[in-house]
Amino acid sequence: MYDQIAQYTNKLIADRAVLTGEIAFAAQDDAVLTAGEPALAELAGAVLARLSCLALAVARPALPFADLLVARAPVGESCIVPRDTETRTFLHDIPFVRRAELGDEPAALIARLLGNRKGVIVEGVGIVASGTLTVEQAYINYSSIFHSTFVKYLEDVLQEGFRLPGETDVFSVFRRDWLRPLTAAGLDFRAGPLTDHDEILAEITAVGRYTVERGLVDSFFGNISYRAGEVVYISQTAASLDALAGCIDPVAMDNSSTCGITASSELLAHRRIYELSGARAILHGHPKFAVVMSMQCEEAGCPVRDCWKECPSVRFLGDTPVVAGEIGAGGLAKRVPPVIVGPRKAIVYGHGVFTVGEADFAEAFRALVEVENWCRNEYFRRVDERWRENR
Amino acid sequence: MTNGTAAGWTGVLLRVDLTARQCWREELPEELRHAYLGGRGLGVRLMRDYYRLAPFDPDTPLIFAVGPLCGTPAPTAARLAVVSRSPLTGTIYDCSAGGRFAWRLKAAGFDTLVVTGQSTVPLALAITPTGAELVAVPALWGKTVPETVAALAARGSVAAIGPAGENGVLFANIMMGEGNSVGRGGLGAVMGKKGLKAIVVDGDRETLIADRERFDHARSDVMRLFRASPVIFGELGIAEYGTPALVDLMRQRRMAPTANFRRTVFEQSDNYSGPAIRRAYQAKKDGCYGCPIQCKKSTPQGEHLPEYETVSHFGALNGIADLAAIVKSNTLCNRLGMDTISAAVTLAAWGEARGAFPRAEEVPPLLEEIAWRHGAGELLAEGSSRVAAAMGRPELAMGVKGLELPAYDPRGAYGMALAYCTSNRGGCHLRAYPISHEILRKPIATDRFSFSGKARIIAIAEDTNAAVDSLVACKFSFFGATLEEYGELLSAATGIDYPPQQLKEIGRRIYLTERFYNCANGFASRDDYLPERFYCEGGSSGEGIEIPPIDRARFTEELQKYYRIRGLTPDGTFADPDFLATQP
Ligand code: SF4
Ligand SMILES: [Zn+2]
Ligand SMILES: [Zn+2]
Repeated sequence: MYDQIAQYTNKLIADRAVLTGEIAFAAQDDAVLTAGEPALAELAGAVLARLSCLALAVARPALPFADLLVARAPVGESCIVPRDTETRTFLHDIPFVRRAELGDEPAALIARLLGNRKGVIVEGVGIVASGTLTVEQAYINYSSIFHSTFVKYLEDVLQEGFRLPGETDVFSVFRRDWLRPLTAAGLDFRAGPLTDHDEILAEITAVGRYTVERGLVDSFFGNISYRAGEVVYISQTAASLDALAGCIDPVAMDNSSTCGITASSELLAHRRIYELSGARAILHGHPKFAVVMSMQCEEAGCPVRDCWKECPSVRFLGDTPVVAGEIGAGGLAKRVPPVIVGPRKAIVYGHGVFTVGEADFAEAFRALVEVENWCRNEYFRRVDERWRENR
Repeated sequence: MTNGTAAGWTGVLLRVDLTARQCWREELPEELRHAYLGGRGLGVRLMRDYYRLAPFDPDTPLIFAVGPLCGTPAPTAARLAVVSRSPLTGTIYDCSAGGRFAWRLKAAGFDTLVVTGQSTVPLALAITPTGAELVAVPALWGKTVPETVAALAARGSVAAIGPAGENGVLFANIMMGEGNSVGRGGLGAVMGKKGLKAIVVDGDRETLIADRERFDHARSDVMRLFRASPVIFGELGIAEYGTPALVDLMRQRRMAPTANFRRTVFEQSDNYSGPAIRRAYQAKKDGCYGCPIQCKKSTPQGEHLPEYETVSHFGALNGIADLAAIVKSNTLCNRLGMDTISAAVTLAAWGEARGAFPRAEEVPPLLEEIAWRHGAGELLAEGSSRVAAAMGRPELAMGVKGLELPAYDPRGAYGMALAYCTSNRGGCHLRAYPISHEILRKPIATDRFSFSGKARIIAIAEDTNAAVDSLVACKFSFFGATLEEYGELLSAATGIDYPPQQLKEIGRRIYLTERFYNCANGFASRDDYLPERFYCEGGSSGEGIEIPPIDRARFTEELQKYYRIRGLTPDGTFADPDFLATQP
């Protein structure tokens, strides 16, 4: 399992989700083994030994947003509740332990909290995430918590401004140094229409990797497909966008076979988009600023409570429509296709972005970059507008 | 908290002694409820004083146990477990089944029903909230399941045996009135030996929920996960096509057992794929009572259509491509009250031994013969392992611990190979259920051709599923939800916090108790192996997929790891003879 630990350690570093050198894993087969920064590794081993699961990741995130969320949380709170779809659906909420509560037996306390949830934030230590079946799962849960604390912190700052001493500096450094420009420049796309089976698989695999390498999505979030005649090639459920080789299902448009039962939960949305738009390529990911901005609703006195699934209106971020709707059979498949036809792009409330390409992925990829850049700029414009006096 | 008013549980157990023809209520100790939940766990615990008795000993209990979620709107929880000792395998045995029967038993005020003794005249047991009554039903003996259900339906929900159970077919089922079956291990024969033809139950009590708001929140979390799961509510998932949705996938993965596991691809499996069944029978959604998934399918006339394992085994395993014949075989097994998987594997072993698999038109008469123990049926009623041994070809029985393997070839998924062997009830796919991650990518994909990490994964999954079987919820829920959400449902329903980690520990206790019973009855490491075929013959390689034989040495290495994880000796047994005394 050391090879898998090395693989996912490197992935977290490449994703810029951890501080280099402040990461450790533990995994257990018939015995517990650990690797990484010694103090974190010891903690990981001690926690894992108390749990029925296979792996554990402990790392200090590359940005201090998780700690800031804990510090900003009112006294008496013991978890943070992000509102984005992925977190709501798969993590529910994220428990945290304050530095002062850690006590002499931190491993026991952390294990107890992890007995309930896939990950916890330990103030001053980092994110601790478990993987029930695989090392990869611990990586995914870490990634998910990194993503959701990122989104939640940006959202809170926009809503509530800065509250802690030094917070504005942290935010400036993040804005100035951590964020990198997003661009499609220099990427190689095969010109469509694509018809050759192997070529389609290769292109989907390459484009999936681009989305992660260019920092548009964390590796676990999103799906991608290409239509050739009556077959849709689509990434499988629970597949990482940057590791799609062997994880792409060809699915017949007419449901003559059920082999595609392993396809992404968004298969139905992809199909309807193809039927309505005539496009050939679809790219779907969860870029963070688009997720944050999609949840900013200014509708005064709106009676809808569960906006993410029930908001009936179509809003706009720039010229990109935003609709509500949950994953899979939860309504997104109904609401996205009609609005995506004209603008060739759409955002789903609290969830992410869909873009399409007429013949190939070049157009879809550029659109994804544009949407996220627009949301990023708009985000900072609104922060500046609202909280300038604080900065 | 006092018995009878506890949220979740009723706290009451109904005992029935068929020999003395007596029924009485007992308190179900709170300590046992908390430590074993219900369903499988509670049933297994209640076998503690009886596990050494022979399956057909009159004193061997036949236990029906619901769980604390039964009667609540928790998705897929209107289920019960039936527990006893299996006459087919000799192991401790449990099976979960859905239907109104489970819900009505709870609504009659009982968590558990324990039947012992033996009657010389056929009896039916009628249960209502005011008590239980034993009625002589000599006229029902010899009747099929639907005839029996029809005769008793006016009194409530029925669980009954058919001719197979009456005649001691070692893989006879107990059938629920709506067609759900308590299958595989032959508990129908246990019921038959007791002279109990049927149980009918009616009730109207509500199950109390301690914290309604928390419960509703947890329920909506579960439903979101169902909607997010391609396997459950996806366009090609089990809600649409039922479990035969797996036919195409198993064909593509080259792990569809064919010709008694000599091959792993059957070219005509298209004939009985999910879409083929839908087209041929205008299949409509059907399923267990109170389940939002409705994964079972039936014809517009209400005839139940077969599950994946059934179509594949009456199909590929016996070389039969005729869908109508397969559907007919399934219907016949349901009417006669016997297990489709074991019946089909037994026919295949017999077929290979005699040099010819049964033809499509031969199967229905053979099934009748089995149920009535006529002609060839006298031998076939004993199951594949005894049939193959009697024919001098013991190696042709495709089972583990005498339980016939279902339709997932172990050479195509190494976790499944290991799980078949470590399952306490023998060759069963539903214990650790690694198909979920090795094939269906839920909750995450694992490498199906690797043993790496699988011992730990299987142990964790066995514990998890032992808890699930004790709740009692349906395994298919866990293609979407996890113990996190079900733990919430349970905590909300009972008012007692059950974090997922604690549920896994309860599951572990149940698993180890079962293993202890088995070891005490002589089971050991040698019983934790697949038939030799899988270690020396490959499957059907092709289309870029190699299906080599399983590496026996590597298998053994992982099995030994598994024993260490379980705290067992290298022979797979218990170092501590007093293990049970250390458990609640
Ligand atoms: S998913 Fe299917 S088997 Fe499970 S409870 Fe629902 S209908 Fe029954
Ligand atoms: Zn998404
Ligand atoms: Zn709104």
